[in-house]
Amino acid sequence: MKTQKSDKPPVNPINIEFISEPEKITLSNKVPVFIINGGNEEITKIDFVLRAGFTSEEIPLQSSTVARMLTEGGSEKLTANEINHILDYYGITFNVTTDRDLTVISAIFLSKYFTKALELCGEIIFNPKFPEDELKNLMNRRLQGFLVSREKVSTIATEHFFESIFGKNHPYGIRLSAEDFLRIKPVHLRNYHSRYYTPQEMTLFLSGKTPPEAKEHLDNYFGSIEHFPGDRKKSPPLPYGEKKRNLFIPKEGAVQSAIRIGSQTIKRSNPDFASLLIVNTILGGYFGSRLMKNLREEKGYTYGIYSYLVSHELAGYLLIATEVGKKYTQKAVKEIFKEIKLLQKKPVKERELEMVKNYMLSDLVRMFDGPFATAESFRLVWESGIDMSFYQSMAQKIKSITADEIIHIARSYYDIDELYTVIAGPEK
Amino acid sequence: MIDLKKCCLNNGLRVIVNEDNSTPLAAVSLVYMVGSRNEDPELTGLAHLFEHLMFRGSENVPDFDDQLQLAGGENNAFTNSDITNYHLTIPAVNIETAFWLESDRMKGPNITEESLTNQKMVVLEEYRQAYLNQPYGDATLLLRPLAYKVHPYRWPTIGKEEHIKKVTLSDVKDFFRSYYAPNNCIMTIAGNVKSDDIFKLADKWFGKIKMRRVNPVSLPEEPEQNKERNLTVKRNVPANALYKAWHVCGRKEPSFFTLDLLTDILAAGESGRLHKILIREKKLFSSINSYLTGDLDPGLLIIQGRLMNGVSYEKAETELNNIIEELKNTPVPDEEMEKVKNRFEAEHIMERVNILGRVLALSQYEVLGDASLINSEIDQYRNVTPEMVKNAAAKYLKPENCSTLFYKSTGAKQL
Repeated sequence: MKTQKSDKPPVNPINIEFISEPEKITLSNKVPVFIINGGNEEITKIDFVLRAGFTSEEIPLQSSTVARMLTEGGSEKLTANEINHILDYYGITFNVTTDRDLTVISAIFLSKYFTKALELCGEIIFNPKFPEDELKNLMNRRLQGFLVSREKVSTIATEHFFESIFGKNHPYGIRLSAEDFLRIKPVHLRNYHSRYYTPQEMTLFLSGKTPPEAKEHLDNYFGSIEHFPGDRKKSPPLPYGEKKRNLFIPKEGAVQSAIRIGSQTIKRSNPDFASLLIVNTILGGYFGSRLMKNLREEKGYTYGIYSYLVSHELAGYLLIATEVGKKYTQKAVKEIFKEIKLLQKKPVKERELEMVKNYMLSDLVRMFDGPFATAESFRLVWESGIDMSFYQSMAQKIKSITADEIIHIARSYYDIDELYTVIAGPEK
Repeated sequence: MIDLKKCCLNNGLRVIVNEDNSTPLAAVSLVYMVGSRNEDPELTGLAHLFEHLMFRGSENVPDFDDQLQLAGGENNAFTNSDITNYHLTIPAVNIETAFWLESDRMKGPNITEESLTNQKMVVLEEYRQAYLNQPYGDATLLLRPLAYKVHPYRWPTIGKEEHIKKVTLSDVKDFFRSYYAPNNCIMTIAGNVKSDDIFKLADKWFGKIKMRRVNPVSLPEEPEQNKERNLTVKRNVPANALYKAWHVCGRKEPSFFTLDLLTDILAAGESGRLHKILIREKKLFSSINSYLTGDLDPGLLIIQGRLMNGVSYEKAETELNNIIEELKNTPVPDEEMEKVKNRFEAEHIMERVNILGRVLALSQYEVLGDASLINSEIDQYRNVTPEMVKNAAAKYLKPENCSTLFYKSTGAKQL
């Protein structure tokens, strides 16, 4: 009954079938539409991607509030209750997110309701009303959510981290205050909507099962939206970090400290990005990472630790994030820096390199598994102004990267003196 | 329609396969029929701690995660009151690695004092992160023992801190012997595989593991609650919160579908009655939700929400009760009934588009008795009538069957 070690099955090479650039069409008003057709299920997704993030705001919360009000304030033809009823009646999942550069509005629905969903999206997204009473109600609720999130060391540390690396006056780094939630008025929303929910700011992504006459339908519902005459808000300058590189924010009664360590870094369009992604993965980008093995599986300081490499329009950033038992706070910080320095000094051993390579290659496979995943992966490169060849070069880089290159990249992009360390937790 | 092939090995291991050649990947789930309900009341949290220990290597595999990642796999696991589920995705060409890894740890994980101490620390940090260091994080820890007096659902899956600390190697070994047998396990695979190959692999890797006697599940039945229960706590949080829990039926009983739609009428999507009336119209709550715990034994229907500042508990409860009373007295309009059914159906389809979602759903149905329920359950929902919802509301949503937690803000953090 005993299985011998030699019984270990062989590991087969992981093949990646890359998908070429998606089909692109253009609506009558020049709105580009990318189509990723496919999948076994009768499900369709449409994403409305608008260049309407924090950087285009006149006052804080403007972009996210416009997006949130779409289903809260009603439209020209429908009340908010009617909108929500119809969405649920047809089983349409309607979702909005806003970040530093973009607002993304997504609808996922059964393919048989294609035209119904498009019609409804058109009404909700492009003909909204912003009544004062509903706005006030939403902002009071959001304020409470904000106050609750302010009780979490994870939120406190993350907010201060971004303020530190991007600067407190830059839209990338701005930290909200309670007053921001009470200041916003319907006129801010109307102005913002009429300027940014426009063809010149918009790109559509259609994925899943799409009918052959998709283009006609899209043009019918979104092709006649008019351009706004006038320029968008001037892009802010590149963000600059604050001088202070070590920050401690006390949180009374906390039983864990949240640690955030990182800095600004290169964007996805930089040729070194894929290599940096590999280094980031080794350090803390997957469960087998060095940080996870050290701080969780050896020392038991934390439930989990991850590091992230994220690219935005104006800057990228590296971030190591964890929550640790309060008595381990200083030890954990020390170990994190130890692991970074180790990556800069000692070559990665062959087995670890093989593991991270195979993990990353199969992760690439997951990124193209089905039309929705493919559409998301495409959007990621599209946002950075590059194309799908990024993934082919990334696969090449994963296969070819050497231990020496890893040392070189770790030294070039993790500058110990430049890293910010932000901790929120109980006083020592 | 999801196409299934099933077989049962001689040792009682059930294997379920869904072939899907549209993906280069495969997803694998192993459900062991053991959860926190099987624990000794003096050693709670053991099922979940054990789940952690299953990743610390076995006789021929000292490093489970490393070996899986070497083959391009990725995994996770969860424990709840009833079951423990280990799941992974892997390029289908390396599916045999999953068999190698999972069969080796089914024969017995290699747990040392060192790994036990380490994972206790990790679990305690998980406990702090999820329950102690979050606003309202301890609410469910308080609600369970209020609602259950006898049944093991009275303790949370994460367990008690002092219990986790005192687990010994021999506790762990006993637990393994009692529950981690092939005849107490369901293996489900979906993806780019052939069922014949999978059944052969199952026999090759798991076939020689011996069937064992598994501790029978004989749990004390929770007596009927016939008096309302209230608990008030004060915490340093920004807003008052309200939690209500009613005893309902178990997951396998026919009323479950009716109750599930009832909670959807209350709180599914943004059009649910609670959102529409209590948040938008009356502005009493900032957030509110209703759901079933969905446990195998009789579970709970929970409504939980945070009150807007300045709203009294009395006002909030009165308006909430009005909505519940209406469910008992007035049949739900057909259009609204149709809405929650449509919405359920769409969600039902979306959650199994991806192979991982599909194996999790399939294994859950097999736990309920038959994986092929995945194709017929929608009919059970379609058959629910407004009258059935009304009757279920009247039967279960009685004040004397309800436990209420008033989670009060000390006021220090309010604006």
